[in-house]
Parts: sequence; structure tokens; C-alpha cells
Amino acid sequence: MSKKRAKITEFVKYTSVAGVGTIMVIPFFWLVSASLMTLNEFISVPPKWIPSNPQWHNYVDVFQHIPFLHYYINSFIVAVSVTALVLLTSAMGGYAFAKLDFVGKKPLFRFTLSTMMFPAFLFLIPNFYLIKLFGWVSNYLSLIMPFAVSAYGIFLLRQFIMSIPPDLIDAAKIDGASHFAIFTKIIIPLSKPALATLAILTFIGQWNSFLWPLIITSFSPQMTTVPVGLSKLSLAFSTYTNQNLILAGMVLQVIPVVALFLYMQRYYIKGIVLTGFGGI
Amino acid sequence: MQVSKNRLRENIVAYIFLSPILLFFTVFFAFAVGFSVWVSFKQWNMLISPFSAPNVGLWNYSSLFSDPLFISALRNTIVYAFTTTIAVLILSLLIAVALNNIKGAAVWRFIYFAPTITPAVAVGMIWGYLYNPSRGIVNEILGWFGIPSHNWLTDPRYALMAIMITAVWAGMGASILIFTAGLKAIPQSYYDAAKIDGASRVKMFWSITLPLLKPTILFLLVTGMIGAWQVFDLVYMMGTNAPASSVEVLSLYMYNTAFVDFQMGKASAAAMILFVIVLITTLLILKAFRKGGLESYE
Repeated sequence: MSKKRAKITEFVKYTSVAGVGTIMVIPFFWLVSASLMTLNEFISVPPKWIPSNPQWHNYVDVFQHIPFLHYYINSFIVAVSVTALVLLTSAMGGYAFAKLDFVGKKPLFRFTLSTMMFPAFLFLIPNFYLIKLFGWVSNYLSLIMPFAVSAYGIFLLRQFIMSIPPDLIDAAKIDGASHFAIFTKIIIPLSKPALATLAILTFIGQWNSFLWPLIITSFSPQMTTVPVGLSKLSLAFSTYTNQNLILAGMVLQVIPVVALFLYMQRYYIKGIVLTGFGGI
Repeated sequence: MQVSKNRLRENIVAYIFLSPILLFFTVFFAFAVGFSVWVSFKQWNMLISPFSAPNVGLWNYSSLFSDPLFISALRNTIVYAFTTTIAVLILSLLIAVALNNIKGAAVWRFIYFAPTITPAVAVGMIWGYLYNPSRGIVNEILGWFGIPSHNWLTDPRYALMAIMITAVWAGMGASILIFTAGLKAIPQSYYDAAKIDGASRVKMFWSITLPLLKPTILFLLVTGMIGAWQVFDLVYMMGTNAPASSVEVLSLYMYNTAFVDFQMGKASAAAMILFVIVLITTLLILKAFRKGGLESYE
């Protein structure tokens, strides 16, 4: 009796997981399928599920009909630069908060944590004003600098560096190593797992970032990133006719993130579990 | 003497290491917050210097509350934040429990997680096509079950709901991962003991799983709410064809007021209101959970 009941529970479990799983997959399946359709297939009523003849050249055309390569390069430069800066500033701050003793340490650390509670919207207007004041609107600094420091990154590295045994640092000090040498020769190499977690979270967060680039690019279109570029074309549905190409662009937008995720899954999941966010 | 010299040196080194961070927080945080408060009392369009912009006192705040679109935005944001956060919480808990000890859990987890790493803009675009009344597959699939077609994203009765469904679809992955980590931390011996006492699966869920997951639930409620109050990308992508009052949310209202209409003072006032809402809900959730006896699990 109880065996039969357990079997029923198993059945319910698998069918519900598979059922909801199907709903999760369908939009992606449709995206890839539609990106290979001709325009006529794409706009046909009722909708087609599978292209009769996959149009692989859509993935080449997207680079010719849309300045897609330009968007891609912009996104890549911004995401890589922000990631590099965040890693550097987080490691430096994390080291100071974890291993150094200084006046004002506690209040400064509390202040750093409290900055995480402020909604991003509070910063749009003042930061835009500053960027304009600094004359950065039409260059990459406008997209990079407001994200160069991450309170979450500092917190993550501080927690990790605190777990590095003090003996290692003391031994280096006796050998006459400077604080700078300790930082580059001991702290950085030992913090690699935490840095990897932070790197993947920051890169994906920036690659997917939308609101700030949307504001900047409305003043300097040459700064257009992939999400902003595709969204503008997509919203101009009636005037822009190559909708199927936008879908090819979207697949190309998602590929680096999925690849990075599959390659560094372990670190990414660790970051998610620690923060609760898909990005920063 | 040597000791104090070392201490002085350590202070200097620490502040050298912290200098980029302190500079950043001074400029992009402290100045920014102060500037926002200051501008919220001014009538400023970004074309002139904010110093020569006229002071208008509380006018920006009062004009917000007499703007029907702002009231709609406030209402829609509240509906969106509570509905999506709670729906994500319940669904992802059920799925995480089902995924626990299932064959091929890693593959399922990736499937559920894929929307989380997909840019919200792409999610909004994809679902925008899926919801298309004539060409979209949502109506097509519903049609198989005899459900009549709807204009999901243009009908004011359905538009916000359609966006919220997409938000739940996109938001479950991260919560499932966090719940999975929470479930893994519950000792199996608790369940074994309950089994000996003859407890049913449902009973075990209510009296072991749920109480022990309280800190996880609290964490997801707080972070989920903070995120949901600020929703922008999805509504920006999916709400363009619906009547504004039916899908407008605070963030979109702020964006349009600031960067389309250039009413910086009014937009800053709206940002301050959003900040207060985020702060109050966070504190209320924390307080409610403390009453529920969270301390015993910490």
C-alpha cells in the first residue's frame, strides 16, 4: 500500500517537474527556431513552430543589416573593463577590511554595507549630471566608471580573505615583505575562487545591463550596447522589417552568457546563493 | 615607539588600499544621495546649472500625488511587487522540493535557471513576440485547450498580469537554487525520526521543512521585494502597447519624467518616495519575521 503510494508521489513529482520544465524551455526553443525562419515564416498566421528550411545566413545578415558588431564590441569592452575594476577595487578593499587595523574601520565597513540598500534609481540623475560635468558622455568612461566599485564585491572578498590563515601573512612579514607584496603574492593568489565568483557575476550583470546604457546612448548613440541596440530595433516593430534578424541577434547575445555560465557554473551558483541576485 | 610607528604605517597602508573605494563612494554615492535630495526641491531641466534652478519647496512631491499616472504607477508597482515576489517564492519552493533527490537534478536545475542568466531585455522581447495576438504561440497553445485568444499586451485588463507571468517565469531560477541550498542544509535525521513517528510527507513539509527554511524565505522575500519594487526592463519592453495607466510602474515613470520630459526635480522626488517604500517594506518584513520566532533559527 505504502509502496504504491510512494510510486504515485514519484509520478506526480516527475510529471510536474517535466511539465513546468517544458514551459521553461518553450520560449528558448521558439527563439532559436524563429531566428532561423524567413521573414514570411516568421510573420505567418497561425505561427510556425519549425522553419521548413533553416536560414543560417540570418546569423551573417544580422551583422550586415544592423551595426551588430559595433554593439557587441561596446558591450564587451564595458563588461570586461567593469569586471577588471571591480575585481581590483574589491580585492583592495577586502584586504584592508579583513587584515589591516586602522582608525574608522568599523563605521567605514558598515557604511559600505548600507550602500547596498539604496535603489539604483536614486543615482540615475546625479550620476548623469556628474558624467556630463566630467565630459564623459560620449566615451566608455560613462558606462564604466559608475560601476567601478561594488559594495557586494568588497563584502564578498572581505569574508573570503578573513579565512586566510594569519600565520601565512605573519611569516611573510617576518621575511620583510611589504603590505603591497603580501597583497600581490599571498592574498590575490589565494582569493582566486572568490574572485572567480565575483568576476562571473559582474560580467553577466554588465553584459545584461540595460537602464544606464539606455540613458547614456540616448545622448551618444555610438555607445549603444547589445541590449539597448536590440531593444530599440525590436520596439520599432512596425517600421523595422527584419524582425527575424533581431532574433538571430538575441541568440548571439545570450550565447556568451550561457557559455560562461556552463564553463564557470560552480562559481556562479555560489554567488547566486550568497546574494540572491542574477547579477549585481 | 616602534609599535606606534608600525600602527601609523598600517593606517596609511589601509587608507591607500581604500582610497579608490572612498573616492568612488564620495562621488557616486554620498554626493549623489545629497544631490538627489537637493534637486527634489527644485524645478530643474538639466539644461541650466542646478544652482540657478528655482527652489519650489515641496511642490514636486505634491504634484506627484496629484498626477493620476503616478498614482497608477504606485498601485501597479505594489501589485507587481507583492504578486511576483510571493508567486516566485511559492512556486520555487515547490519546485526545489520536487527537484530534491530527483534523477538528473542538475539538468533540470539548468533548465529552470536558464531564464535567470538571459538578459531581462531579451526575456521581455521574446515574450513580447510570444504574446502577439495573431502570430504568437501563447494564444496558439491556449487554443489547443479551447481557451479563447486575448490581446495580452494591449488589453488593459491583462497587460500587467501577462508581464507578471513573464517575471515569475524569469525569476524562479535563482530562488530555486537558494532553496536547494537551504534544503540540503536540513539534516536527514530529522526526516528519519519523523518517519519513525509515522508522519506523512505533507506533515513533514509543514513541521520540518518550512520552519527550518524560515531564514531562506526571509532572505528571498527581502531581496525579491527590493528587486521587484525597481522593475524596469520587462515593463519597458512589454508595456509599450498597453494604455499607460494599466502597466506604468514607478521606475518607468521616473525614467520618463527624468530622461524624456527632463523634469529632474519631479523625478528625484519620485526616487525619494521609492527609496522610502523600499526601506519601509524591508523593515516591516524583518519585523514580521522576528515575531514569528526567527531568532531560534539564526
